[in-house]
Amino acid sequence: MGVKRITALLLAALAVCGLTGCGGTRDPDEAQESIQVIAMDTAMVLTAYGEESTRAVYDAEEEVRRLDALLSRTSGSSEISMLNGAGGEMVPVGAEICTLIQTAGDFTEATGGAFDITIAPVVSAWGFTTDSYQVPDREALQTLLESVGMEHVHLSGGSARLDPGTMIDLGGIAKGYTADRVAEIFQEHAVPRGKVELGGNILVIGDKPDGTAWRVGVQDPKHPDEADGLVCVLNLTDAFAVTSGSYQRYFEQDGKRYHHIIDPATGCPADSGLTSVTVVADSAQGNGTMCDALSTALFVMGEDKALDFWRSGVCDFQLVLVTEDGRVVVTEGLKDGFVEMEESGYTYEFVS
Amino acid sequence: MNSSPKLRPGLWDALVVLVVAALAVGCAWTVWGGQDRGTELTAVVSVDGVETERLPLKEADGTERTIQAGGYTLRLRLTETEVWVESADCPTQDCVHTGHISRGGQSIVCLPARVIIQLEGGERVDTGVDAVIG
Repeated sequence: MGVKRITALLLAALAVCGLTGCGGTRDPDEAQESIQVIAMDTAMVLTAYGEESTRAVYDAEEEVRRLDALLSRTSGSSEISMLNGAGGEMVPVGAEICTLIQTAGDFTEATGGAFDITIAPVVSAWGFTTDSYQVPDREALQTLLESVGMEHVHLSGGSARLDPGTMIDLGGIAKGYTADRVAEIFQEHAVPRGKVELGGNILVIGDKPDGTAWRVGVQDPKHPDEADGLVCVLNLTDAFAVTSGSYQRYFEQDGKRYHHIIDPATGCPADSGLTSVTVVADSAQGNGTMCDALSTALFVMGEDKALDFWRSGVCDFQLVLVTEDGRVVVTEGLKDGFVEMEESGYTYEFVS
Repeated sequence: MNSSPKLRPGLWDALVVLVVAALAVGCAWTVWGGQDRGTELTAVVSVDGVETERLPLKEADGTERTIQAGGYTLRLRLTETEVWVESADCPTQDCVHTGHISRGGQSIVCLPARVIIQLEGGERVDTGVDAVIG
């Protein structure tokens, strides 16, 4: 056999090795692990790539379950439940919860009270925590509102105390904080790309194996039950995105619809002219919590105040606002990679 | 012009061509043929994060399965092509309202019962997006 023939065979063999990875190492793009977890009253999907993808998602699942137990308001044994039921006594809740309460307080201050974890008793009065929906009377609401406000929350070391009548619910930042923690765990496991879906929250890490951005659809509030009912698609890499919408939980009474996003100023469902708010930020640590808090707060604030807040630069994020009158208002930072849904019937406005 | 006798293909050349062609087919099969090809559509039931049952649809013929979890009972119906929750005594009824699922990657979730029924194998769903928020 001639030299050319041997060369041809060697080249062919090399090509086989190159394509099939005969070196024995796993291609990080193929080493994918994806699991579903039910926690925090939602179905979560954790997907990771990389050589440590399996360990990454199972460590993340463990953390999700730990936080679910720690932050729950409805589980009688959680620190939050104990604090709410302590009747004004100091409760050792631990440094992590104290830090979260402090963070929540910072967002309360930044948003002028539009985000407030002490709104919990009012939310309960509407029945949103028990699914026993009702419209509370004005006097009852007024009484409950007297105990709303971060001035009723006192922190000392790793302990906390609530004034009598005050209760807190960290549900407004729990999933965002969980996304932050999962991001940390994925980073520890050198996950090069992944996707973490936590109900209305998402974290995307890196890009997809084919090198393109993750395509994240934003649910159309007019068609919440249709999987392909989207108001837009965002092409995202290394980002958190959270949507809050009035369609996510609501009830109807006497022909009127009442949704679950309560305005701390009135004690009633926010009537801000918006049907959904999506907050997007890069995947820097803490931004998951920020997106979660702001999606609620900006919904309460309404279009004008939300855009003023965005322009103020107090926090670094981008926005998609869907209004009751059929407009989709998008901040300029999302313009690249923003896909309009022509058949949705919305008009699209980009603001700077 | 006459071709040079040295360039005329011989038996060894044919053998080399055959080997290279065989390697190419092998490569193609390894790289593209081994991925999710024609695996059977299977309903995977998990309760509270733990897989409890794998139900291949090809063996189903209107089969009914009862899933009891979290104090609730779900009646699952399976055919050769699809799965759905026919009835459940959970308070939200989201699992029933999800309707029929028939393609790999689709799932039915019952939050009160902490049950997930996911279809694996078969053709994947291509919705055009990687995730939906809201």
